[in-house]
Amino acid sequence: MKKYILILLLLLSGCQNYSELNQLAIVTAAGIDKDKGKYEVSVLIANSPKVNSSNKEGEAKTTVYKAKGKTIGEAIKMIELKSPKELYFSHINCIIISDEIGKEGFLKVADYFMRNPETRNRFYLLQIDKGKSSDVLKIISPLESYPSQSIKTLIESSQTSSNIGDSASYSNFIGKTIQKGYDPIMTTIKINGDKDKGSKQSNLETTEPNTYLSMGPIAIYKNDKFKRLSSNKETELIRVLNNENKELNYSFKYKEKNVNMFSNMTKTSIKLIDKNFISVDIYIKGDIFETDSNVNLNDYKEVYKINKKWQKNIKKDVKKLIDKIKHKWKCDIFGFGNMVYKKYPDYYKNFKLDKINVNVKVKTEIISTGSLTKAIKEDK
Amino acid sequence: MIEKDPKKVIKKIKKLYGNSKDLNTRLIKTKNKNIGVLFLESSSNASTISDFITKSIIQEANDKPLFQTIFNNIENKIYNSQLFTIDNIKDFPYYLSSGFTIIVTDDSSKAIVLESRANLDRGITEATSEPALRSSKDSFTESHSKNLGLIRKRIKDENLWFEEMKIGRRTKTRVTIAYMNNIADYNKVKKIKAKLKDIDIDGILDSGNLRDYLTEKKSIIPQIKSSERPDITCQELLNGKIIILTENCPFILILPTVFLDYIKSPDDQNQKSINASFTRILRFCALIITLLTPAIYIAVATYDQNTIPDKLLISLAVQREGVPFPTFFEIILFMTVFEILRESDIRSPSNTSIAGSIVGALVLGQAAVDASIVSPITIIVVAVTSICSLIFQDSDFINGIRVWRFLFILSSSLLGFIGIISMSLIFITKLTALEYLNSSFTSPLAPLDIEANKDAIVKFELPKIYKRPSYVSKNNPIKQRSKR
Repeated sequence: MKKYILILLLLLSGCQNYSELNQLAIVTAAGIDKDKGKYEVSVLIANSPKVNSSNKEGEAKTTVYKAKGKTIGEAIKMIELKSPKELYFSHINCIIISDEIGKEGFLKVADYFMRNPETRNRFYLLQIDKGKSSDVLKIISPLESYPSQSIKTLIESSQTSSNIGDSASYSNFIGKTIQKGYDPIMTTIKINGDKDKGSKQSNLETTEPNTYLSMGPIAIYKNDKFKRLSSNKETELIRVLNNENKELNYSFKYKEKNVNMFSNMTKTSIKLIDKNFISVDIYIKGDIFETDSNVNLNDYKEVYKINKKWQKNIKKDVKKLIDKIKHKWKCDIFGFGNMVYKKYPDYYKNFKLDKINVNVKVKTEIISTGSLTKAIKEDK
Repeated sequence: MIEKDPKKVIKKIKKLYGNSKDLNTRLIKTKNKNIGVLFLESSSNASTISDFITKSIIQEANDKPLFQTIFNNIENKIYNSQLFTIDNIKDFPYYLSSGFTIIVTDDSSKAIVLESRANLDRGITEATSEPALRSSKDSFTESHSKNLGLIRKRIKDENLWFEEMKIGRRTKTRVTIAYMNNIADYNKVKKIKAKLKDIDIDGILDSGNLRDYLTEKKSIIPQIKSSERPDITCQELLNGKIIILTENCPFILILPTVFLDYIKSPDDQNQKSINASFTRILRFCALIITLLTPAIYIAVATYDQNTIPDKLLISLAVQREGVPFPTFFEIILFMTVFEILRESDIRSPSNTSIAGSIVGALVLGQAAVDASIVSPITIIVVAVTSICSLIFQDSDFINGIRVWRFLFILSSSLLGFIGIISMSLIFITKLTALEYLNSSFTSPLAPLDIEANKDAIVKFELPKIYKRPSYVSKNNPIKQRSKR
């Protein structure tokens, strides 16, 4: 008897979440827009049947489905009616939101993805710089054999120069939003060129693609609401302070000539010294990358002076950025408040971002001056 | 008792054999006495009989007791054959069929038995079912005495004991239990002997027939390994194991066998230890691959798609596009096709097997994918699985693993990864529960025996292995004395 019950248990409980691979529509990216008070969700499906039977497995065609609904769930249900296959969300790579959604507050949208047991919380969260997020999904990238992966590849390939992957991740964003005294930032993505041309197969056939995607500036959030975009220079410095930049390219004037410094090692530590005092230590190590001045670089005194100048410039920029954050943006993107809250939880009620003193210390080091010691063309 | 009349005896034996033509009988008359000579043409060497036996009989014509004279005469002339007397007519068929010549006379109730066996064996050839690159090349044959000789040749110790018994009412097969007297566990020898004595069947033709009688518990994976290599046999004898040799069968049985014995190969003992260890780990991996790959594929493709990376999943999904069958059925279909191919390859004569492989490779592999009856990944899974299973040499073991593989496929097609894990638990429980002659099937891993683990999955250098595996026998554990 026991044996039969066991077999019955197996047969009745088994096959419950059974689904064949070719019945699944693997969603690798989703875009969320707002249209006339309704959510418009678009999904990128990676495994549409191939156009012409090619033996390369990577050359799958991708398809974008779009639908509207009062809630995200409703919109996704509408998409499922259109799609011949069941939507499968566990392999979602990135979610792109428009700035309208950002202004309304992202947590409303996040609820669906956090509640859904199928999705992994390891995808990237991006905001589109201008336009509609569904357009980003449609762009066909010429350099990626898996077109569905192009956005993910874009984020991960920029990791050699900067470690965006971390700050662009969904869990990081949500984590910062929930923590006290922290305002999150979000990476943005930009469409360069004509979006209609970019969604056609012909985008792959030209040598110079008409349309391509690129990473944009950083979007500054207050709680879960989008406030403003940073400029390009600010973006780099924010990344340095977040320990995300691996490479920093920095130009300044020395004796009225351009000097370009390239560093491949930056290290920042932000420490809470007192209730109202925070110190920011930045350590940068780099080479002289390019210069058009005829300064004799064999002379260590000159190099020392260049180093000093570099250090001073960076210090000035960082101070400016922090002042901006404190007084103009009023967004605690480096989590000063969070540090105070962790160490002096009782004092946190009295914490005000614009009251805190920040001391910036910058240490730079020039490792080499390159293969040249002088400019090629000297002033005669 | 034998009647004192050769004529009658010959008549009786002829009747027993139903007048078979190969029974050759001679009635030789000298003076007033009759001498009867009986032998089977088919199993004895006729020239030996005519050259030596008949001649030595005919020369005798004096008045002394005939029987004794013939016996003495043969004893003094022929040195290299077995010679003895028997006094029961019931033993006649056994000796006749074994190729002996029987001489009966008027004046004695005994019979002279002289060996005149014909050479019906093939020579010693290379091992075909267990090939090895760096090992001795000879293998056991159908000749019982040659097999014993191949072992004696290697172990020149008087403590190598052979105990012979005859099993089978009609075949009267010689079965020899070989063991090292002061190493092997005598209780185990006694148990095996008792088991063999209990067998009452008309015929034992192969050592495989004995296997069923010796097994203690039911299990799919065989608990008794068979081998045709004398070098492995001697190694196991020195470890204290008990060997059973069967007449007319080139395969011997090794008792007790543990699971890891199937992972070892004949080459291992003769190779550098680190390389041997590496190959053993490789074989262990192959075992896991051949057991689990199809099951894991089914689990990944039908239940737990979220466990694999995106690109792989997309690739798998695109490959499966347009395949009409469910993954489970696809795998079962092609596993079956492969098993049939393998079976037909073993059975078919060598000149037709090329056609088989063309059909297998081209028609079933390439064409099935092109016609999108199966997805390419299924072919890969089946190929990897079957190649890994062919690493092992014992065909019974391969078949046992195959049964378990199908169980794993079944469980994963019902419950996905949960099914695989539950089936693995059942598999491990089953393995550890097996026991043979008080040695656990999973020893020396469980129960853990650190000393015996020096030659288990990892093989230590030979100078560092001092003891014999204690799970086999606790007698005389020192294998090597350290002189350093």
